[in-house]
Amino acid sequence: MNQRHPRSFLELPHRREFLSDVGMGFTGLAIGAMLHRDSMAQESSRQSLLETHPIAKAKSVIWLFMNGGVSHMETFDPKPFLNTYAGKTISETPYADVQNPKKLANERVTVPDANGNQRNTLYPMQVGFAKRGHSGIEVSNWFPNVAKHVDKLAVVRSMWTSDSNHGAQAQFHTGRNMLDGDFPTLGAWVHYGLGSLNDNLPQFISIGTREYWIRRDGHYLGPAHDAVPLRIDPNNPLDFAKPERSFSGEAQSLGIDLVQQLNALRSVEYPADPIMAARVASYELAFKMQKSIPQILDFSDETAETKSLYGLDLPHCRDFGMQLLASRRFVERGVRFIQIQHGGGGAGAWDAHGGLKSNHEKLSLAVDQPIGALLHDLDRRGLLDETLVLFASEFGRTPGSQGADGRDHHPFGFTVWMAGGGLKRGVVHGSTDELGFHAVEHRHYVTDIHATILKQLGLNSRKLEIPGRKRLAIDHGTPIDEIIA
Amino acid sequence: MVFHGHVRDRSHSFFIGCAIASLATAALCAAFSVSVMAAEPNAKIYLETIKPLFLKRCVSCHGGLKQEAGLRLDTVELMTKGGESGAAVVAGHVDKSLIVSRVSQSDPALRMPPEHDGESLSEQQIESVKEWIHSGAPAPNNEKAETDVNNHWAFKPLSRPEIPTPLRFEWIKNPIDAFIAREHEASGLVPQPIASQPVLVRRLFLDLIGLPPSVDELAAIHADQTADWYEHLVDRLLADPRHGERWARHWMDVWRYSDWWGLGDQLRNSQKHIWHWRDWIVESLNADTPYDEMIRQMLAADELYPNDLSKLRATGYLARNWFLFNRNQWMDETVEHVGKGFLGLTFNCAKCHDHKYDPIEQADYYRMRAFFEPYQVRMDMLPGEADLEHDGIPCVFDDGMNLPTYLFVRGDEAKPDTSRVILPAVPQVLAFKEISITPVTLPLESYEPQRRAWVMDAHLAHAQKKVALTNEALSKAHAALLTAQNAREHERQLQAKQASAVVAVDEACEKMVADAEAALRVAEAMAAVAHAERDSVERRGNASKAKTNCSENTNDALLEQFHAAAVDAVRGEREVVVAQLKHKVSEIELRLLRSTADKKESIEKELSTAQEEVDKAVKQIELSGENFTILPGAAWTPTRFKNSTADDPPVLLSSTSSGRRTALAHWIADARNPLTARVAVNQIWMRHVGTPLVSSTFDFGRNGTPPTHPELLDWLASELLEHGWSMKHVHRLIVTSATYRMGSSMAGNESNIAKDPDNRLLWYRTLQRLESQVVRDSILALADSLDSTMGGPPVSPGNQADSRRRSLYFFHSNNDRNLFLTLFDEAAVKECYRRDQSIVPQQALAMSNSRLVLDSADRIAERLSKVIPAGDDRAFIRSAFITVLAWDPQEAEIAACMRTLEAWRGLSPSGVHAGDTESRAHLVWALLNHNDFVMLR
Repeated sequence: MNQRHPRSFLELPHRREFLSDVGMGFTGLAIGAMLHRDSMAQESSRQSLLETHPIAKAKSVIWLFMNGGVSHMETFDPKPFLNTYAGKTISETPYADVQNPKKLANERVTVPDANGNQRNTLYPMQVGFAKRGHSGIEVSNWFPNVAKHVDKLAVVRSMWTSDSNHGAQAQFHTGRNMLDGDFPTLGAWVHYGLGSLNDNLPQFISIGTREYWIRRDGHYLGPAHDAVPLRIDPNNPLDFAKPERSFSGEAQSLGIDLVQQLNALRSVEYPADPIMAARVASYELAFKMQKSIPQILDFSDETAETKSLYGLDLPHCRDFGMQLLASRRFVERGVRFIQIQHGGGGAGAWDAHGGLKSNHEKLSLAVDQPIGALLHDLDRRGLLDETLVLFASEFGRTPGSQGADGRDHHPFGFTVWMAGGGLKRGVVHGSTDELGFHAVEHRHYVTDIHATILKQLGLNSRKLEIPGRKRLAIDHGTPIDEIIA
Repeated sequence: MVFHGHVRDRSHSFFIGCAIASLATAALCAAFSVSVMAAEPNAKIYLETIKPLFLKRCVSCHGGLKQEAGLRLDTVELMTKGGESGAAVVAGHVDKSLIVSRVSQSDPALRMPPEHDGESLSEQQIESVKEWIHSGAPAPNNEKAETDVNNHWAFKPLSRPEIPTPLRFEWIKNPIDAFIAREHEASGLVPQPIASQPVLVRRLFLDLIGLPPSVDELAAIHADQTADWYEHLVDRLLADPRHGERWARHWMDVWRYSDWWGLGDQLRNSQKHIWHWRDWIVESLNADTPYDEMIRQMLAADELYPNDLSKLRATGYLARNWFLFNRNQWMDETVEHVGKGFLGLTFNCAKCHDHKYDPIEQADYYRMRAFFEPYQVRMDMLPGEADLEHDGIPCVFDDGMNLPTYLFVRGDEAKPDTSRVILPAVPQVLAFKEISITPVTLPLESYEPQRRAWVMDAHLAHAQKKVALTNEALSKAHAALLTAQNAREHERQLQAKQASAVVAVDEACEKMVADAEAALRVAEAMAAVAHAERDSVERRGNASKAKTNCSENTNDALLEQFHAAAVDAVRGEREVVVAQLKHKVSEIELRLLRSTADKKESIEKELSTAQEEVDKAVKQIELSGENFTILPGAAWTPTRFKNSTADDPPVLLSSTSSGRRTALAHWIADARNPLTARVAVNQIWMRHVGTPLVSSTFDFGRNGTPPTHPELLDWLASELLEHGWSMKHVHRLIVTSATYRMGSSMAGNESNIAKDPDNRLLWYRTLQRLESQVVRDSILALADSLDSTMGGPPVSPGNQADSRRRSLYFFHSNNDRNLFLTLFDEAAVKECYRRDQSIVPQQALAMSNSRLVLDSADRIAERLSKVIPAGDDRAFIRSAFITVLAWDPQEAEIAACMRTLEAWRGLSPSGVHAGDTESRAHLVWALLNHNDFVMLR
C-alpha cells in the first residue's frame, strides 16, 4: 500500500486504486459497472461482467407510483361487462367462479381492517374509454394526455400481488409481503448494482410522500442504499441542504476548504487512511450536491413552452408537473433511479373507498398532463430510449362497489404500464377476466416488473444477492420478454 | 458478490460514485477456504466449479451435518465411497456414477436436489459434473472432510485456554495481549505503539461513557503523574452512571429496543411506556447486574419475581415483540432474536425446513417457539398512577390457555401440522442438561394485581384529582355568576340614577345572569359526578378489601360484611350513572337557554328524554345486585388476531405460569451453555476494539465466520463466567489491555501492511465511527449544554429539535426516528447486531448545516473566548483543537487555521478584529466537521 494524501478523490484512477486497495465500497458488480462506464475495463473483467449480466439498454428509471391503489377498470383496462351487469352480484353473472376460494388463495391478510374485502355488487365503469393511437389501445377519458402517447406504452394488464391492504405499497417496491419483514426496494438494488453516471448527484432520489411502511429502501443492504429524499424546492431541496441559520456561502466555503486541508494534514500521522479518504470525498460530493441540486431545481433555463407542457401554470397539476420536469432534468444529468410517490395522506390519495369518480377524476387531472409531457419531452430529446418510465400502484380496485360509490382494494388483478428503456412501444400484454377480477392471461407478480427493469438496466436479478440473505425465486421474478423490444 | 479465496468479514457496497465505505454488518459467507493454489493442477475444475456447486446444493444433506442415505459429498473420497445405493462417483465412468443419473432425473420424485430444495441443476452444471468425472474425477491432495457437527467450535463446551507465553512479554499488560501477541509473532507482525495520552483519554471517555472529556478533565489527567493514571481513569469511568447510559444503547441495539408505534393512537407494535425497560437496562449495567441474571429477568421475571415491578420492567424485552395483528409474526421475531441475540444461532433459517448448516431441525424451530407460546402482554399499574395511558409497566405473563404449538408445513402458517403438538425443547446438540419445566404457582398479587397495596390509593388519588379539578371549575363558575350579578346591580343603579329605563340593557344583563346560573349548574353537576366517582372508588375498594378478607379467612360475619360492601359498591356505581345523566341534563338546559327560538322545540324534547333517563336510573339504584366492577391493577394489552376490527376476547390472568420461559432462561444462562458467554463477550469486544472476534455476530453456527482468535474468545468467555458474569470485569480487562491502547496509525509499518492489510490480527487500533447518539451527545457536551437528566419517558419527536437530553432518551421506533441520528446509521429497531458505519454526503450536510452544530460551535467559541483575549489566534486555535478533538495541533495545522481566520475576517465588512467572535465560531465549526471528530482514533 502506498502512502497517499487524500486529495482529489474524484480523479478516477486514484479513486479506483484507493477503492480496490482498501477493499471496500465496491462490489464486484459495481466495479464492473464503473469500469464499463469508464471504458477502462480490462478485457477479462469486462468479459465476466457480460457473462453474468445482460447488456444494458436503459440508463435510468423514472418510477411513478400512485399511492392508494388506482382502479384499473377506470384507467387502462376497460371492462364493459361491469356496465352490462351493473347492480348485479357477482354470483348472478356467468363469472361467479372468480370468487372460487382456490382462485383467491394468493391473498395474505396482513393488516385486517374494514377494507380489503370482496365487494359483491358490480359497479359500472365511472368513465368512458376510447381506442387511441395507431395501436388502438384503450385508455379512459381521464387520461387524455397519456393517451396521446399510447403508442409509446407497454401496458401490462395482468398484475397480481398478495397483500390486500396498503402494505402492498411496500410489496410493490420490495417484492415481499409485509408479513415477511422488511426488504430492499428495487431502487436500492439498482443503487447497489450500478455505478453512478454523475459524481455531483445522488444516484437514487425519492420525491413525494411515502407512507411509513415504505419510508426506507436499503434495509439489509444498509442505509447507504436508501434513496436521498428530495423536495422540489430550490430553496430547501434536501435535509440540511443549507445552513439552518445564517452562515454566508463564502464563509462556509472557506471553512470547508480548511476542513479539507486539516483532514489532509492528518495523513502525516495517519497515512493511507481509507476512512479519511472517504470522508474527504463525501464532503466534496456534499458540497457539489448543495450547489448542483438547487441549480437543477431552478427551471429558469426551461422554455415557456416546456413549462406549460408540464402544466406548471395550472394549479391542479403544478406540483406533480414540477416533480416530473425535475425528473427529466435529473435523468439528463445521469441520475439512475427517481422514485416518485404521488398522492400522500391516509394510506394514499388514490384509495377511493367512496366517491371514486370525483377522487380519480381529480387525481388523474393532477397527473395526466405532466405524465404526457414527460413522455413527449423525453422522446423529443432522444432520452426515452434510455429512460424507462413506470406507472403503477400497489393494487387495483374491486369490480364491485364499496358503499354507494367506491371500490375496495383489489390484489388479484391490476394494471401497470411502462414506456421507453428499450421496451416495445404500443403493446398490451396479459389480461384480466371479463370482470377485471383476476389476472388470467400472462399473470405477473410484481417482481416480474422488477426483473424486466433490471434486465433493461443490464442487471441480472439472480446475481443481486448478498451472503446470508437468501432470496427466493419469487423475489427475483422473471423478465417479461414479450414486451422487450 | 465476488469473493476471493478467503472469507471477508464485511459486506461491500458502493454509493454515489465516490468512495463511500459501508463497513456493514450483513456479511456472512460460507466458509469455503480451500486454497486453489495448493491444489494439484488437475483438481482446478473440481475446486473452482464442482465443489462449490456441491457445497451449495448437496452438502447440507450429504455432508458433515447430515448423511442422508449414508452418503457424503464433501470430499471426492467420500463420493467414491458412496452411500447405501452405491458409489456416487466412479472416476472415469459417467454412466456408473449415480450422482449423474440422480441430478439428471426428469421425475421430480427421484430428482436430486429434491424438488422442495429448489430448481434442478442446470444443463451446463450437469455437463461440468460429467466432464469432471469423465476426466477421472481428479481431487486435490489431502482434501479435508467437513468436521463433525459436534466438533464445531461454538458447540463445544467452553474450557479455559492456557495463556500463551509470547516472546514480546514487555508489551503485554494482561492475558488478552498474550493471545494477540502470539498471533503477531506467528505472522511476523509488530504491534503499533501505544497512542498518545490525549488520544487514549478521548477513546476511554467516548467508549465507556459516550461523551468526550472536558478540557479540565484532560488537564487533571495530564497532571496525574502516577503510573496507574490509566487504570484509575478506567475505574472512575466504569463507576460513572453515564457508563450505564452509554452501554445501555449498545445492548438496546442487540435486544431490539423500540418505542411503540401504530396508526394514530392505535398501538400496533412494542408497548407504551416501554422505556421502563430501557431504564432497567441502564440501572442494571450501572449496578453490574450479572449478565446471566439479566437474561433470566428479561425472559422470565414474571415467573421468577412476579411481584417485583422493578424487575418486571426487564420483560419489556419480550413485551416489545407484541404485534397487534399477527401472532405468528410476533412469535417468529421472538424465536429469531432470542436465537441470534443470546445464542448466536439462526433459528429463523429452520422455520420452513431443517437448517442447512446447523443441527437445528425444522421442529426445533417450533420447539423453541413453544417456550413462548403462552406469553401475553399486560400493563401493570404503578404507585400513584391509575391511568395506564399515562404510565404503567409493560410486562409479560402466561395466559394459561395451553394453546398447542404446531409445526407449519414448509413454514406456511396456513398449514399447521395438527397431528403432533410440539413441546418446548432445545436442539439436541446443545442439550447439555435436561430441560425440566415446572409450572410456577404465582402469588395472588400477581394474577390479581388489584390487590397490590398501592392500587386502591392510585385509583383514589386519581378520583380525588378529578374532584379537585371540578371544584376549581365550580369556583370559577361561582365567580362568573357573581361578576354577572354585580354587573346587573351596577346597571340597575345606573338606571335608577338616570330615571329613564333602558329595557334592552336590563334584558341583556338578566340574560347574562341566567346564563351564568345555568353554567354554574353544569359545573355543580360535573362536581357531583366527580364526587360520586370518588365515592364509588372508595366503596368498590371496600368491597374488594372485604372480598380479600373472606377469601383469606372465611366465616359468616366476614361473608356478611362482603355482601353488604358489594351491594354498597354496586349502588355507588349506579349513583355515578345518575350523576352523569344529571350532568347531561344540565348541559342540555344550558344549550336550551342559549339556543335560538327555532331550535328550542327539539332541544326541549331532548331534555325530557334525558330527564326520563335520570328517573329510570334513580329507580335502578335500589335494585338488588352484587356484581361490582373491580378496580383493576393491570390491563391485558388486547390483540386483533382474528382479522377483525374488534379486539380479541380478553385474556384473563392465570394463577399459574407454565414455567417454560424460566426453564429456557436457566438453560441459556447456564455456565455450561457453550454459546451464551461467547456471544456476549464477542459483542463487548467488538464495541471496544472496533472489530468482533467472530464477525458474524449473530451467527456462531457453521455458516458463520470462525473466530480470528478462538482461544482469546474462550478465555474472555471464561473470565465472564468465573467472575460471576460481571460485564464490568470484561470491560476492564479489554480496555486495560495493550491491544486496546495501540495507536490507530499504520505509519511506519509497511511490512505489517503487506502481511495483514485488513488488520485481522489487530496490529493497530481499528478506527470506529462514533455511533449516531455519540455524535450528537458529544456536540452538546462540548457546548456545555447537555441535559444530564437520567431516565423517564422518551423525548417525543416534536420536542427533539430543542431537547438537550442524551440521544438514548429520544423516542425511537419503526416509524419515528430522529433525522440527524438517522443520517449516522441509527440502529434499525428490527435488527441491529452491529451498527453500520457509512460515510455518506448527507452526514457532511448535517454536520455543516444543522442548527445543532452551528449553535454549539458558537457556544464553544464563546466559552473559549472568555479566557483567551481577542487577537491571540494561536492560543485560541490550540485551545479549540484540544477541546473539540483532544489533541494539540501541529504547526501546519495552526498555520492553516490562522490563514483561514484571516480570510474570514476579510469577509467581515467592519475591520480586522471586528469579526473575531464570528470567525472563532467558524473555526470551531470547522473542527466539528473534521474527520477526527466523528472518528474514534
